[in-house]
Amino acid sequence: MGTLLKVENLVIELSTTKGVAPVIDDLSFELQAGQTLSFVGESGCGKSMTALGIMGLLPEKVGRIASGSILFNGEDITKATDDRLREIRGNDISMIFQEPMTSLNPVFSIGEQIAEVLRRHQKLEKAAAWAQAIELLDAVRIPDAKRRASSYPHQLSGGQRQRVMIAMALACEPRILIADEPTTALDVTIQAQIFDLLEDLRAQTGTAIIMITHDMGVVAEIAERMIVMYAGRMVEQGQVDHVLSHPRHPYTKGLIDCVPHLMATLTEQRAELTEISGIVPSLAEFGQDTCLFASRCHLANQQCLQARPTEQHFNEQQLVACWRAGEV
Amino acid sequence: MDKSKASDTLLKVENLTVQFPIKRGSIIGKKKWLRAVDDISFTIKRGETLALVGESGSGKTTAALAAARLVKAHSGSVELNGEDFLALDDETLRTARAKLQFIFQDPYSSLNPRLKAESIVREPLANLNTGSQTNDKKAEHNRIVDELFEAVGLRPEQKKLFPHQFSGGQRQRIGIARALATQPELIICDEPVSALDVAVQAQILNLLRKIQHERNLTYLFISHDLGVVQYMCDSIAVMYLGKIVEYADRLSLFNNPQHPYTAALLSAVPSVDRQRRSKYKRILIPGDTPDALNPPIGCRFSSRCPAAQPICSESEPPLISRTDGHQVACHLVSDTGESPISALI
Repeated sequence: MGTLLKVENLVIELSTTKGVAPVIDDLSFELQAGQTLSFVGESGCGKSMTALGIMGLLPEKVGRIASGSILFNGEDITKATDDRLREIRGNDISMIFQEPMTSLNPVFSIGEQIAEVLRRHQKLEKAAAWAQAIELLDAVRIPDAKRRASSYPHQLSGGQRQRVMIAMALACEPRILIADEPTTALDVTIQAQIFDLLEDLRAQTGTAIIMITHDMGVVAEIAERMIVMYAGRMVEQGQVDHVLSHPRHPYTKGLIDCVPHLMATLTEQRAELTEISGIVPSLAEFGQDTCLFASRCHLANQQCLQARPTEQHFNEQQLVACWRAGEV
Repeated sequence: MDKSKASDTLLKVENLTVQFPIKRGSIIGKKKWLRAVDDISFTIKRGETLALVGESGSGKTTAALAAARLVKAHSGSVELNGEDFLALDDETLRTARAKLQFIFQDPYSSLNPRLKAESIVREPLANLNTGSQTNDKKAEHNRIVDELFEAVGLRPEQKKLFPHQFSGGQRQRIGIARALATQPELIICDEPVSALDVAVQAQILNLLRKIQHERNLTYLFISHDLGVVQYMCDSIAVMYLGKIVEYADRLSLFNNPQHPYTAALLSAVPSVDRQRRSKYKRILIPGDTPDALNPPIGCRFSSRCPAAQPICSESEPPLISRTDGHQVACHLVSDTGESPISALI
């Protein structure tokens, strides 16, 4: 086990009509081999941007890495050429997306789409690639894989499509799999099947997983470490058990408490849900030298409005960016 | 609110069936019927909330639409306030509809983009008043709109804005104000928070509970999110392939799920509660929901049920109650209400 991915002081900027906004603002984290790391936050907090940044897939001409580094196995991929990036993508780092229907090509059979990855990245012959595509479909538990390989995406259910995406992402046995809300469009029993599958594959291949989600329950089920993002900034990071049982940032606490969770035993009691008032700030407000959560925070004081909180360490690498973390 | 009235039944749905014609194959292919909702019955008491839960395609939204006469029921009856809702003619239906309103899932597509927020909320009021609008009525409507804006937590100056100028949560508040405009007794909430961010969900759920309490509203609550359902509801009907497979009050259903499908559904929900995670092993059910055109013979869940026995694919289990009011449609539940799944975990 070693450090597979090391992101240091990453800043990603997005050009908007109103100027340049830092959608990822000074983010640092590490991912160990075989680890599952989860990014959590509301929409517009920069979770997906982090993933696209690592993949080198930022929207052209609009998004760019302004500073910082992304070290994959010691190699800074922010400085890699397009050719090298293409080699890394698919071979070493791959990604699955939220909507499996729009991520698959409707005019090719699923077998062909998986085989294409193998032909391109692993330089396999046509027949060998097809045979391995069937093996992969079998590995992601598509029933009757040999026959289904000739199916087209529209002939599959949502859960099966996501399995095909996973098969494609795993075709070259990547070291890192980035999953961007992979089960949000799926029913909960299908979600359970997909998580079970990812867990098995991780155990078998040692692939590290970056799971992007908005669901604290999902984080608790499958991740070891978690990073909570707000308005492009890391607000809290640590071991999942520690963060969930003792959140130090008011936003983390709010995210946990605002959802009615299923508990071990249900009682008559139904306490009112904790609300986080207001909404996520707009891009124009990103990057200011204040705590961006202050306007929604019940603990906010003068200091929170005057300077961006520095990162403080708590026990065992729990890292929190809040002036009043001790009081949460 | 008058608590003595709390026990009477507001909505009573009996043996409701909805079917759609489906043509498969060529144009001359034989017409088949897809039973989206198959012989379901439920009641909701005034001031309470019933949840219809199930996965996509289970028929929960169709059932609610049929109860509101927004799709045609094939057979069955719907009684609202003791009145046969399905038999009303056009004019009485229009006024009766005032008592039954909808809140939709998507706050982006369910509001007219060309109307100001106040007009959206006022529209149902105007629709229910036939004839010309006198100044008196206009003033009255303005007063109601003001009051509704306040009730749902919108500021008065926001009345003049268009839907695109609001956030998702605020749009859902407009949708709620519109539903309240006609002073309904029953509100059908179709996945009212699933399009919203988690932090905003809490605001809307709290609001729905608050106005329910203030106005003694009755909710038919459709959701796939069991965490939200346990927070909002008094009783729950679990649907699978158009059938109700389990129907019980909140505590009984969540603490003692009897149908294997309900048990699997509950166990699949990821939870932050470590105690719950260690207590309930995840019950994985294989495959996807079967094709609704050719549902399995016997119990519809038999093809995926980890506890299935030969009898399950021979005859369809009736929805019956073994222990105080807890109804379940499964051959294998014991007389004491023990789920067949508990022997497997």
